[in-house]
Amino acid sequence: MAGSRNYDFLIKLLLIGDSGVGKSCCLLRFSEDSFTPSFITTIGIDFKIRTIDLDGKRIKLQIWDTAGQERFRTITTAYYRGAMGILLVYDVTDERSFNNIQTWFQNVEQHATEGVNKILIGNKCDWEEKRVVSTERGQALANELGIPFMEVSAKANINVEEAFLLLARDIKKRIMDSSAGDKERQGTVNVNETNPTAAGKCC
Amino acid sequence: MPEEYTPPASPTASYYDLSDDDEDYSTITHTSTGRGVKLLYTKSKVYVHPTPSAKDNIPGFIALIQQKPPPSENTSSAPAGTVDPAHLLLAWLPESALGSAYDTYVKVDLLDTSLPPKQTYLVPPVPISAGNSSLGSYSFSVPVSQIYSLLVRPPSLGWWWGSIVINSRGGDGFPALFFHDSECASTIAQSKARARENFDPFGENGEMFWGGDEVLRWLKRFVKVERSEVEKTVYLINPSKDDLLSFGQKPVIDSIAAKKNAEAAGSSSNNGVAAVMDPFTKAIKSARWTLLERFARVTQFSRQTASNLLDNPNLPPQVRKLLRNPDVINLQDDFDSARLYLARWAMGIAEQSEKERAQIVWKREDMMEMEDSAVGEFEILDIEAGNLKTDTDRRRPVEMEEWESWFNKSSGRLEITVDEVKERIFHGGCDQAVRKEAWPFLLEVYPWDSTKDERSALMNSRRDEYVRLKGKWWDDVSRREGQGEAGEYWRDQRNRIEKDVHRTDRNIPIFAGEDTPHPDPDSQFSTIGTNVHLEQMKDMLLTYNEYNTTLGYVQGMSDLLAPIYAVFQDDAMAFWAFVGFMERMERNFLRDQTGMRAQLVALDQLVMLMDPVLWKHLEKAESTNFFFFFRMILVWYKREFEWNDVLRLWESMWTNYLSGQFHLFITLAVLERHRAVIMDHLQHFDEVLKYINELSGTIELNSTLIRAEALFYKFQRTVEASDRKHGFPSPGTATPIVKLTHRRSTSSASGSSAAAANKGKAAAVDGPEITEPLRSLLSRDIIRVEKKEPQDVTAEAAGKGKTPMRG
Repeated sequence: MAGSRNYDFLIKLLLIGDSGVGKSCCLLRFSEDSFTPSFITTIGIDFKIRTIDLDGKRIKLQIWDTAGQERFRTITTAYYRGAMGILLVYDVTDERSFNNIQTWFQNVEQHATEGVNKILIGNKCDWEEKRVVSTERGQALANELGIPFMEVSAKANINVEEAFLLLARDIKKRIMDSSAGDKERQGTVNVNETNPTAAGKCC
Repeated sequence: MPEEYTPPASPTASYYDLSDDDEDYSTITHTSTGRGVKLLYTKSKVYVHPTPSAKDNIPGFIALIQQKPPPSENTSSAPAGTVDPAHLLLAWLPESALGSAYDTYVKVDLLDTSLPPKQTYLVPPVPISAGNSSLGSYSFSVPVSQIYSLLVRPPSLGWWWGSIVINSRGGDGFPALFFHDSECASTIAQSKARARENFDPFGENGEMFWGGDEVLRWLKRFVKVERSEVEKTVYLINPSKDDLLSFGQKPVIDSIAAKKNAEAAGSSSNNGVAAVMDPFTKAIKSARWTLLERFARVTQFSRQTASNLLDNPNLPPQVRKLLRNPDVINLQDDFDSARLYLARWAMGIAEQSEKERAQIVWKREDMMEMEDSAVGEFEILDIEAGNLKTDTDRRRPVEMEEWESWFNKSSGRLEITVDEVKERIFHGGCDQAVRKEAWPFLLEVYPWDSTKDERSALMNSRRDEYVRLKGKWWDDVSRREGQGEAGEYWRDQRNRIEKDVHRTDRNIPIFAGEDTPHPDPDSQFSTIGTNVHLEQMKDMLLTYNEYNTTLGYVQGMSDLLAPIYAVFQDDAMAFWAFVGFMERMERNFLRDQTGMRAQLVALDQLVMLMDPVLWKHLEKAESTNFFFFFRMILVWYKREFEWNDVLRLWESMWTNYLSGQFHLFITLAVLERHRAVIMDHLQHFDEVLKYINELSGTIELNSTLIRAEALFYKFQRTVEASDRKHGFPSPGTATPIVKLTHRRSTSSASGSSAAAANKGKAAAVDGPEITEPLRSLLSRDIIRVEKKEPQDVTAEAAGKGKTPMRG
């Protein structure tokens, strides 16, 4: 398949967060620019692809979507390893999903590749009358964790695109940095487990 | 059996009476009684199978018996030299009931049946019964004049024993009679004689000779036996003209297929080349993977002529145009995977054309590889699947009339074997109306041997029990208010359940509405609204937590409940049916995922055994964790098939007719179906996962079921062959987990070490070892989660103490 590739970088992203916070909806909005109100629960694991342009480079994003319920966590954590960026998603109308971000973050620290980029996402920000987690609390948590933060709405199409692009940009920067100079770090940045030559190189 | 047909209840005519009208016969008295009826023909080792367990099989004799006509009609009905069929009885008697007449039966069994009987053997009279299982003995006899038809099934693939079911004119059902030919002295002798005399061991219709042929022959001496043109397994006895007409007419050719052909003809005729793109885009969207797969099969099977494909006059011009146009990818903007696939496929064609241009001749290894992999296996399987497919009679859904005919009219007790029922449902599924009746049996709510009254009593107590269980949380105000740990847990569970119920099968009409105001103003769905069925779903799932106090709600359970509820639309019945379903599904939802892992491991070994070439490829693609089947296994293909197909598939699998884990053979069938694409185009785990995930909504159920069945038989034969080769493993010596070793993988370190560990047989290993997970696939038992604590009173009261029949 060499020679057929129509992208410069392959970046693997992973969506995690409690069940029902809208991970699949965010992904559907980003990959297909659509929204379904009564979406089905995600069982197992799946991914979608979208190719974007960043500073003149074609970046293929492979975004993995997981089942939220902790019962399946043993299985989903297996997919942490290959991820270069992780979106931690909560629901601004669901306090519990926000509180659980700490647990999800620890999970990432434990199972994901070191140096993986992260972003905190508060979904359903259009639903003001049901909101229980303020923007300030979201921002404070992000600061505490040392990661970027964005409130989005998959339904109203607010900031979803921006959130994914922000994360992709950070990853690209990290990879470009490492491949440009810091040779030592390169080993830890496992760009694409199954096909290591596919990423970080132009063609 | 209707009263008016009952001949003299217990013929008491003496041997002397009987011999009066047959003076040329020398008669032999049954010594102990001095009275009797004529035993014309009989056959031994004909069994009734009351349960799926071979242990319960009852051996007996099928017999054709002549009784003395009542004096009043002595001369009226039958012309001289013939026997009025009203005086002939077809009977089945268990060996144990024969007493001293046993020897006579054995003797008559061994008589040469090619000639009319020379002697008369008298046996004790047989009481006429309607098969209503007089105290479980199952014996019955029915006047031949009252037989409407015989359902005759010769032994065949998957039917170890041939069987006959008698249908009477009164609509009575009799137990199926299974001919254990290999034990039957007369059948063995007769088939030997046939082979010796005619060098032809086959019966009249070219099938293998079997015991049932003889029964038909006996009957043909006295009555007209007509084979139905429509239903080849049905033989009508002295049919009326009307019967002949309704059974004899040629079936209308599959109307759907005809319609399709007509449509195809129509569309090709009015398709101008210029107007091609739109209809084609439409067609490719609707056909999606099915079409694409066909392309793939073409490339796989006729690689050598692949380049000729483009010039093939039979290829629709639009497809040819598509193939030549690399921009076709852009057509598929809304269908990412098709684009992905078409790109790969177009690439394959391009490569192929290049090769052809360069006049590269295929290397020998390539040929070998082709032979070794796809083609041979596939063809064998296709032939087998084709054989299974032709038996259309078995594959029509069970309709209410048929279902009801299996039960005794008055007692409501099942009168055919459980296996017979399961076979029909396994192959044909149920008509929508039958589901409400059949599912409670399949899901262990009703015991198979229950009477109507018992079932209604059972259901009443279960209704009460459901109300009681539901009351546990419904009436517990402090829990509902979220007080304490229990309250917090309950609220969390309720929120999860509510969230999922509101996104489960909302496209199904009963779950679609949102016109009822939500009862709880605090609910996240209070602004959206709900409907009564969604509320019932939530209540049932919450109540299940009271029944199964250790599991807790897990995603996927709402998917399992929805079809059951939709069929019954009765919360208590749906609840207990769901409980039955969860008996086998609970292991899918365990916290430690051991149940799911065990199934993926079994699947891994199954593929390794059945298709080592494909397995090797998947191994290279880092895909032997088979995680891409997680969803299919977790919720039993709920997300892969359309609603109606799910109902049909589930009821088949609930029968456990071939295996308690038949769902893994479905998985294997899906995998085999897409083997060519996987082998040729999918090199990495993510590609395999994406491809398999996107099969959702594209899998054709009927062919998958047929293929899965064929694969099961193939698996069974493989295991049998392996056992013969290795000597049957004694259960004691086998280590609990014997690693699967196969000659194709013995080169790998783990394979050879496991083989070496296997009692030094490593060097002699020639063929696969059958592991415990694999062997368990032959079992019809379902795998339940072992309960550490004893079942509480709750379950006991719910009727769990009464173990329903399984298998």
